[in-house]
Amino acid sequence: MSESSRRFSTLRNSVRVAPEDLQQTMTKRYIGKPVPQIDWRERTSGISQYTADLFFPDLLIVKILRSPYPYALIASLDTMRAEAMPGVHAVITMADFPPGTRYLHEGACDRPPLADGVVRYVGQEIAAVAADTPQIAAAAIDAIDINYRPRRAPLKIAESLRRHSLKLHARKEARPNVSRVFRRRWGRPDEAKAAGQVAVSGYFEFGRQTHASMEPNSVVALWNSDEGRLHLWVSTQAPILIRDEVARLLGLETDNVICHEVAVGGGFGSKSRISEHEVIAGALAIKSGRPVRLVYDRSEEFEASKSRHPFHVQMALRADLEGQVRHIEGQINVENGAYDHSGVSVVGAGLKGLGLIYQPDGIALDALLVDTAILPGGQFRGYGTTQVSFPLECLMDDLARKLDHDPIDFRIRNAQKDGFTSLLGAEQKTVRLKECLEAARKAIKWDVLQSERPAEHGLGVAAGVHLSGSYAERDDANRCDAAIDLYTNGRVRVRFGGADTGTGQKTMLAQIAADELSLPIDAVDVLTMDTEKTPFDLGAWSSRGTHYSGQAVRIAATAAREKLLAIATSRFGDAEFTLDDGNVRWRDQVIRIGELVQLSNETIDGQLTVETSFVDHNVVRPDPQTGLGNMSASYNFAAHAAYVRVDTRTGEVRILDYVAVHDAGTVLNSMSIEGQIVGGAAMGIGAALGEQMVFEQGKLANSGYIYYALPRAADLPSIRPFVVENSDPRGPYGAKGVGELGINPPPAVLSNAIYDAIGVRINTLPITPDKILVALAERDNRKRNFRLHLRPGRWWIALVRWAYPRGLFAVLRAMRRHRSSRVFPPPLESIAAPPTLRDALPLLGKTARPIGGGTDIVPRRSQGLESATVLISLADIQELKAVTVTADGALEIGSAVTLSQLCDPHLTHPLLAAVASTIASPQIRNMATLGGNLVQTKRCWFFRSGFECFKRVGAKAPCYAILGDHRFYHAAIDGHRCQAVTPSDMATALVALDAELVLRSAIGQRIVAASRFYTGPGETVLRDDEIVETVRIAGATLRRHAVFEKLRLWEGDFAVVSVALAAEIDGEGRWSNLTIVCGGIAPIPWRAVATEGALNGKLVTAETLRRTFDEELNAQAHPLARNAWKLDALAGLCERAVEKLTRSA
Amino acid sequence: MRTLDHTLVVNHTPHTIKIDPGWSLLHVLRNQLRLTGTKEACGSGECGACTVLVGDVPQLSCITLCARVRVPVSTIEGLSEESADLRRAFAERGGFQCGYCTSGQIVHAVAILRAGLPASRSAAESVLRRLLSGNICRCTGYVGIIEAILDVAEQRTRSA
Repeated sequence: MSESSRRFSTLRNSVRVAPEDLQQTMTKRYIGKPVPQIDWRERTSGISQYTADLFFPDLLIVKILRSPYPYALIASLDTMRAEAMPGVHAVITMADFPPGTRYLHEGACDRPPLADGVVRYVGQEIAAVAADTPQIAAAAIDAIDINYRPRRAPLKIAESLRRHSLKLHARKEARPNVSRVFRRRWGRPDEAKAAGQVAVSGYFEFGRQTHASMEPNSVVALWNSDEGRLHLWVSTQAPILIRDEVARLLGLETDNVICHEVAVGGGFGSKSRISEHEVIAGALAIKSGRPVRLVYDRSEEFEASKSRHPFHVQMALRADLEGQVRHIEGQINVENGAYDHSGVSVVGAGLKGLGLIYQPDGIALDALLVDTAILPGGQFRGYGTTQVSFPLECLMDDLARKLDHDPIDFRIRNAQKDGFTSLLGAEQKTVRLKECLEAARKAIKWDVLQSERPAEHGLGVAAGVHLSGSYAERDDANRCDAAIDLYTNGRVRVRFGGADTGTGQKTMLAQIAADELSLPIDAVDVLTMDTEKTPFDLGAWSSRGTHYSGQAVRIAATAAREKLLAIATSRFGDAEFTLDDGNVRWRDQVIRIGELVQLSNETIDGQLTVETSFVDHNVVRPDPQTGLGNMSASYNFAAHAAYVRVDTRTGEVRILDYVAVHDAGTVLNSMSIEGQIVGGAAMGIGAALGEQMVFEQGKLANSGYIYYALPRAADLPSIRPFVVENSDPRGPYGAKGVGELGINPPPAVLSNAIYDAIGVRINTLPITPDKILVALAERDNRKRNFRLHLRPGRWWIALVRWAYPRGLFAVLRAMRRHRSSRVFPPPLESIAAPPTLRDALPLLGKTARPIGGGTDIVPRRSQGLESATVLISLADIQELKAVTVTADGALEIGSAVTLSQLCDPHLTHPLLAAVASTIASPQIRNMATLGGNLVQTKRCWFFRSGFECFKRVGAKAPCYAILGDHRFYHAAIDGHRCQAVTPSDMATALVALDAELVLRSAIGQRIVAASRFYTGPGETVLRDDEIVETVRIAGATLRRHAVFEKLRLWEGDFAVVSVALAAEIDGEGRWSNLTIVCGGIAPIPWRAVATEGALNGKLVTAETLRRTFDEELNAQAHPLARNAWKLDALAGLCERAVEKLTRSA
Repeated sequence: MRTLDHTLVVNHTPHTIKIDPGWSLLHVLRNQLRLTGTKEACGSGECGACTVLVGDVPQLSCITLCARVRVPVSTIEGLSEESADLRRAFAERGGFQCGYCTSGQIVHAVAILRAGLPASRSAAESVLRRLLSGNICRCTGYVGIIEAILDVAEQRTRSA
């Protein structure tokens, strides 16, 4: 600690404004400083124990039976066979709970602990098993006999609102499938509307984002039957909320359910209320009498963790001619999902978000919370305000433009000042939005870049506001207690009932205690989460942490200080006592704090405790009908700005600079505040540019990180946080909340910046390349004509595609009976590792499959795509690892050469190095081999995510991509019954280099051109007894110049489209032996043969290529409904490739 | 199902254990050897949280079949001394929040620093951002991680 104390300084990037406010913290030793997390040694060395790291004797493993249907009646459910299996200790269903048991949420209670006669979304929990091993638990799940009667249910808002749709719940509202109608009228909306002489409006969609915390939801439960107490270790943000609901649902006294402290690996809202796993584990622990552990796997986490509610917003803003916003009007449809998990309060909070910023004269909002047969929405950082900030701040830009104001000036004009009370009744003692906007302007170099930015570059800004803990959910939500234990050994312990999910809350509390008691921070321990040992706190949600826990611990620590001084006075008489570094001093005397504690007659067993309660009387519970009331003690503000480059050829958006300026009152820890700001902004950028859960027929298609475009390190700029520091009279030391707000501005910032760059407004999130290219094509009135009527070869496919939405898909689908969506692989028998090819080849066959790096074998097995029980490892075969140049100058690359080795441009060919470095991650490339890359299984997200499709189960099953989301990873040329593509980037490159593959079996070898190797998407001519031995590239080819370009959604993603271009270029710039090979666009690597022919021997420029190439695309392509944009992107990539090749020649 | 006797050297300590051929290295580290510092976050090679060194090479232990591992393995537990400066830099730069991805980040960073980064900080940053793109962090927005590693790279160069 001591070295790091010396490094304490102000924030790295931050401007501190209004230093006169900061006297409270200037004199503090720890508060305001970048104090590292107090448990950093444990967290960075793998010592911290998360829930999954806990082992108990006789620990059982829990698996869950989940619904494969979006909506079905459960005709029968019989767990007898499962229960009878050896090694199974308990099975539970809804029958184990009292009839009608439901979870409680603010104003709603419709969610049962396990499906109650009906399943309402894919992934819903039906039954759970506790068994000795995961394998036995999985087998027991398979042994549960269940019959469903599926019903056609609405899966989208529009479907739900149709008159004849199935009614999902019995609701009080008159409109079918509307869980709640909201009507908010604040101020004088009618007059305000009339006063708004200039209006802008638009329709905006915010899709489903998932938290994707690195630690999945997990719980360990232990039932002590002697005590009658249930002990829980839960990865949660809110132990008390978990305790109360677990106790209620299991019929236990609240005090008989005890949550214990455990490290929590991120929450972002997903762990701020009870889900299902906590009660399931508790019930199984009680029923089995054994400790049980339930840890979601990643696909369960995606499929069952309650994600962000989608908002569909029609909004209008009106201003007067001077530029004052007068009126906000909105009609908002919110997708609730299958239950009221937290939908009612999320919509309420989202609407309030529009009543906290600026000062219109009137606000009129109408919202519907609409039921669908999809995973329920849940709590997510921003909690509804994120979804409404996006339209509000986009329209603020549109309004500024219409009034001919600068977007920052316009917001400054409408920003409020200290002491502002909003239409909603929010008492905002400090408002530094104006300063945030000014700081953002300066930091992003707004004025300079506005006048001299290059084409396709744009600037965007957005503002935001959030709370410091909403007085919501419960009547005691304005209260927070804390305790300080003083020990005779001089140490101090803070006891606090919340949970630190990584926000640094424990450290902040230690800073406060250390400063109030004038102790070195190393002398302070912090205990959290333990519902038996810690006093009352509702947990880390609604940005409560700083305000409530900060105040509570400050009060407790101050009381402890007073207590120490009182002991000193009683023992040593009146004097001027001071606390200093663990000592109490007076006159020339000194005593250690520990010794003083010893002198107190209140000290028991070496411990002296002070416990205090903080109740914030400045807040009120908002009126449930109007939403009015000052629900938060303070309000925090932000302005974010970005500078972006939009590639109009490919639709890619690159963020060149991003600044996030926040007013969070006083800074309590300058490092963790930066962490919250940057982390929030990164998550908001993810929502803006990539993240979206994709459902098809109610089932999630992208249930893993690999298909979920959350930002990786190379996708983000170094986001720059700034703090406009000041002091709010209602916060601890003047501090306000900060944890959530960072996520709100980015979507509008980026939509605004993209508009600034290219003049098109994208108002549905995420802003992926397809939306940009489609918008540009529409703006320029460009349309491709594929002349399908002249192409008889495509008629049959066109007919099938036409028939799909008209009944064919439904018929094909009805022919399949769904099984459980979870797949448990057959056990592996053995892995042979023959030392030579001669040993290996005879072993190969249908059930004995070769593996190279083996990077896909574990995923494929868990996806039910690999049933071989014997694996033949080729990794140890030296012959396959060689790179040689033959006598005739050809290059031969062994198939077991890894992708990492290929990244070396000197080892084989620069093109292969360029390609290899774009594939996956370094860790994957270290394992993956060239041969494995070439033969990898297709990556279609329907196929991979367990959809029972044509390629998985046979000819009578449908292809889900035809009607599903096929914008990125499906073919736009030559698609047949399966729309998948060959995922190998190496294949694209090798075809461009006219490579040959040497295929070897025990009976001989054959040589196949790379261009003839593929027969379909990720399907090859390779026989079961064959492997790819080497890849051969002719000497003449090696002299060609070659480049590779790839469009992907995140660093390391598979190609959305790609192109490998190779040519010889003579002294006069003429191209010959030209190959253009495209990946991601057709079932197999696709050669632009006509373009190659037309350009051979010519001077090639981006323009000449584009013309010819577009003609060829139009003549060959047969895109699906929503992936024609890939042709534009591909043509754009080709242009880029031509320019790059010309430069390199 | 056949059980194999397998010798696995982890952090310089050899272990002879009975394993199933289908078990991942991660499963064995966590459940057989109780080395729980290596985390499982995706189980399918997509996030980097389970990164360990196999020999000197960073690999994903969740998709590495244990039976195929014949060279010594190093985990966060074995590397925490070598990474003492790196761990402190993570702490001081805000390179972790929840800590769940941190073992994987640090193990990977150990290998990256052994291999070396470009001398110029901006060049090093862009190389590093690409190299670390297989290690997802949902908390920090990566700034603290990148700065911590760059700081240590510079410190080590200076003191070398």
